[in-house]
Amino acid sequence: MERTTVNSVQSYSRPIPLIAIILVALAVHGPLLMMQLPAGSFDANFHMFFASHYAHHWFNPWNEKWFAGFSQTTYPPLTHQWIALLSNVVGLKMGYMLVQLIAVLLLPVGVFRFARIWVEDRAASYAALGSIFLGALAFLVYQAGQLATVASAALYLNALPYFYEWITESSGRSLVKGVAVSLAAAAAHHVTLIFGVVLFAGPVLWVAFFDARDERVSGSSAGVLSRAAVFGVAVAAGVGIVLLPYWLAILQHPIHQIPIPHDSRANFLLNSTTAINYFVIPYGALILALPFIFLRGASSRRLIPLLFGFWLTFIFGLGGTTPLPRWLLGRAYDILTFERFTFWATLMAMPLVGVLAVEILDRFQAKVAVALSLAAVGTIGTALWWLSANPYRPTGSMNVEPVIAFLNRDGHDTYRYVTLGFGSELSKVSTYSSAGSVDGDYNSARLLPEMTHYGSAQLTNAKFYGSAGMASLRAMLEHANRYGLKYIFVHDSYYEPLLTFAGWRKIETFNNGDITAWSKDDVPPAHRIDSDAIPAPWQGLLWGILPMAVSLLAIFLELLLPEGRRAKMPVGVPVRAERAEQHSVA
Amino acid sequence: MKFTLPIILVAVTAGLMTLALFGAGHSSGTVGIAAGSAVFSTKASTPEQGLNNLLADVQRRNWDRAYSALSTTSAGDRQSFIQDWTGSDGSLRSFSSLEGFQARPLHATNDDAQMRVRLHWTTPVGPIEDVRDFHLIREGGTWKVAWPKMQISSVPAQIIPVTYLRWDLVSGSGSDEWGSKNVDAPHVRIISMNAVDSAEGAVVMGEVVNEDTIPAFVNVNAALVDGAGKAIDDESSFDKIDHVLLPKQVTPYRIDFPNINLKNVKNVRMDVKATLVPASADPVIGVMNQKVVSDVQGKSILQGDLMNESGQTVNIPHVIASFYDNNGKVIWVSDGYVNRALLPQSGQPFAVEIPKSLAGKVQSFHVVVNQYSLVRS
Repeated sequence: MERTTVNSVQSYSRPIPLIAIILVALAVHGPLLMMQLPAGSFDANFHMFFASHYAHHWFNPWNEKWFAGFSQTTYPPLTHQWIALLSNVVGLKMGYMLVQLIAVLLLPVGVFRFARIWVEDRAASYAALGSIFLGALAFLVYQAGQLATVASAALYLNALPYFYEWITESSGRSLVKGVAVSLAAAAAHHVTLIFGVVLFAGPVLWVAFFDARDERVSGSSAGVLSRAAVFGVAVAAGVGIVLLPYWLAILQHPIHQIPIPHDSRANFLLNSTTAINYFVIPYGALILALPFIFLRGASSRRLIPLLFGFWLTFIFGLGGTTPLPRWLLGRAYDILTFERFTFWATLMAMPLVGVLAVEILDRFQAKVAVALSLAAVGTIGTALWWLSANPYRPTGSMNVEPVIAFLNRDGHDTYRYVTLGFGSELSKVSTYSSAGSVDGDYNSARLLPEMTHYGSAQLTNAKFYGSAGMASLRAMLEHANRYGLKYIFVHDSYYEPLLTFAGWRKIETFNNGDITAWSKDDVPPAHRIDSDAIPAPWQGLLWGILPMAVSLLAIFLELLLPEGRRAKMPVGVPVRAERAEQHSVA
Repeated sequence: MKFTLPIILVAVTAGLMTLALFGAGHSSGTVGIAAGSAVFSTKASTPEQGLNNLLADVQRRNWDRAYSALSTTSAGDRQSFIQDWTGSDGSLRSFSSLEGFQARPLHATNDDAQMRVRLHWTTPVGPIEDVRDFHLIREGGTWKVAWPKMQISSVPAQIIPVTYLRWDLVSGSGSDEWGSKNVDAPHVRIISMNAVDSAEGAVVMGEVVNEDTIPAFVNVNAALVDGAGKAIDDESSFDKIDHVLLPKQVTPYRIDFPNINLKNVKNVRMDVKATLVPASADPVIGVMNQKVVSDVQGKSILQGDLMNESGQTVNIPHVIASFYDNNGKVIWVSDGYVNRALLPQSGQPFAVEIPKSLAGKVQSFHVVVNQYSLVRS
């Protein structure tokens, strides 16, 4: 009995090996991903649709299947291109799952390395372990399907320690690796990098400045700032080049469309369901740790930058519950969605949660280990349960095969089509059918005035955007002849009165009436819509080469230039000591 | 610092939340069909607040809370209260959601108030506005709505013989097209056309007749052409036409060209397309008691009653009216959807708006009724 106690004390006092953490992540998320649980998430089909285009037209980002033609340079391509590559071996869906799995496995590694900037190895390892069970992670992976956000955040967290190393120790190796991984993060999701500069890199720069000023690191304060500027310029230039077609597209067609409502921008105090969806589920048991996060974050000068970063991200994650995001973001407030900020806030909280775990484990040991395990499992379990309990859950069980078969036969693909009430299944229809649609599931790529002049998103979900959504749908149907829009597939009888009065007639039913096909007689075949948004061939080449190249470069640099060993922190000091001689970082 | 900073951050957070609830950063409503209840709601200490709370609960379909907040003097039961808001019988109201509202007091004393509310509904066929008056009573310091009893029409059991004409179509091809392409199209003709400027843009309107002895499915398209012969815009009659025309039947049509002024238009190209389709004269909807009047808001309207003379429910009636001047020329075409279903052998009132500038010129009018029926769809 005595022996067991000693072993357990010893085991609690050591950092958890990173490989063990990765294996836990694999054990938790691997089966869920191999069961293809995220396939029913909101954005999974969207990502597969983009990937499908790259699989067929790697160097041509102009996609005719949505919005009567749009450019895929409006969305960073890295995750989609990796899915496209893998799809040649394992198929689109499994390719998506594998890329998602890699992102999920990279995340605890990133959290561990990011946490080591702030806390000692043991707390960092608990932070990494905890990040596997985050409700926000489960929310993004299994409900929202935000593959790019997760992948980019994981990469970005892995880049930040290099940033810290470079600015404090002037390590050239760290500069090269940090820039390469940052560019890969930007190639996965630009928004993460843009906000990461303020929310993640800001606190890191701040603490590096403190460390230099207090002589905890070898560099001077001025050196820290100048090296940060060098890093920033290198990354900015790199992102400018790697995503050049994106910047050209966004400069040519800035997002001027009418703001589209999103529940993450709502005031959570005014709607309990929204509060559960965007606050309770993502934070889970972390809500209980909030007092500790604030108190401990304020107790050490080194942790104050992290606390500020967390608080600001936390406030942003609350969407319209406070006016701060609207004030700070201006017009961008109405374009962004805010669940990603909650995810980032939970990631920023993890170093402090790691400290909490160390302190209470040292004090209560086995009992607390059980409690923490239950809290972690309960958090991710609740998020997974919410997939089916959420009133706004995606409609993922529809069989759209007959619709795809209809569009692919008898020359039906010479016309365009619209789906109504299909939710994210629209992307699936688009992926596997040869016909084009005037609708699409990516708001920022829309240029057709019938869509951009109204405050609604996809036509297939028009009714959920109220009068604006129905006005947008109506405007599109009024111009059916202009776009060759002949076929409409309806999975929600709500739309049938409008179609009837507007001159469409039901011609076929699928799945025992679950889906109906409607047609209008006098619609001419679709013709190519002229657009100034078609990327030049050289942009297609850049787009097909550079993002993938930077990700391969990052991988090779990680393999060729392995990390130096980090000096051990004294056992029992969860927060990184503020004494100069104890500094070291990965 | 250990306690000061957390206290400051928590206080700032709480302050920002309060500001978002009451101040400049007040967030707009949530997307979609709202659900759930508010974590925070204000007390009904004024008639406006009492009415706002009720309508907010109606928006969220939080019926228990909405009904429990009614005055004790209210007539009718919970079911009829809900039905009043949600509609029944597959009517347009049953597809509709209350999107917004604007209330203004008509009169108020210490204990009761009369409020007029403009209700904004989102429906499958477009936004619809309703004006409704509410009576509020103060009970124990809280303002509550006194709900009136709703008149629900009931139809006695009966047999209605169907004696109307019906045209079936036997299509030899196995194609999935609707209607027939391999026979001569029915002969339809535009019998009048008038182009005018309106506040929203140019409007082309008139009437189409089916001159054939078979039913026709009709669409009217128009293109505006400038002096150089270049098309400025092309639009269609969309839902401002009765698409299925029985033999010899006439329908008004209206084609809107938003943001276009007729002074830039040299010519209007009209195009009417017709297809042979199956059709039935049933259900027959009678139009009665038509007259041009002013409504409570001072707008000129054509109002009347629809009478369903058949044995099947018409879920969504759609009224299209053409207005003529003293020369018999079509000077306006107006349309409107009826919120309540037309039950067999029952009636419903309707109203369509006439632009103020034209109201004085209207000498006569012609009303046709289009319809959507679930059983036929």
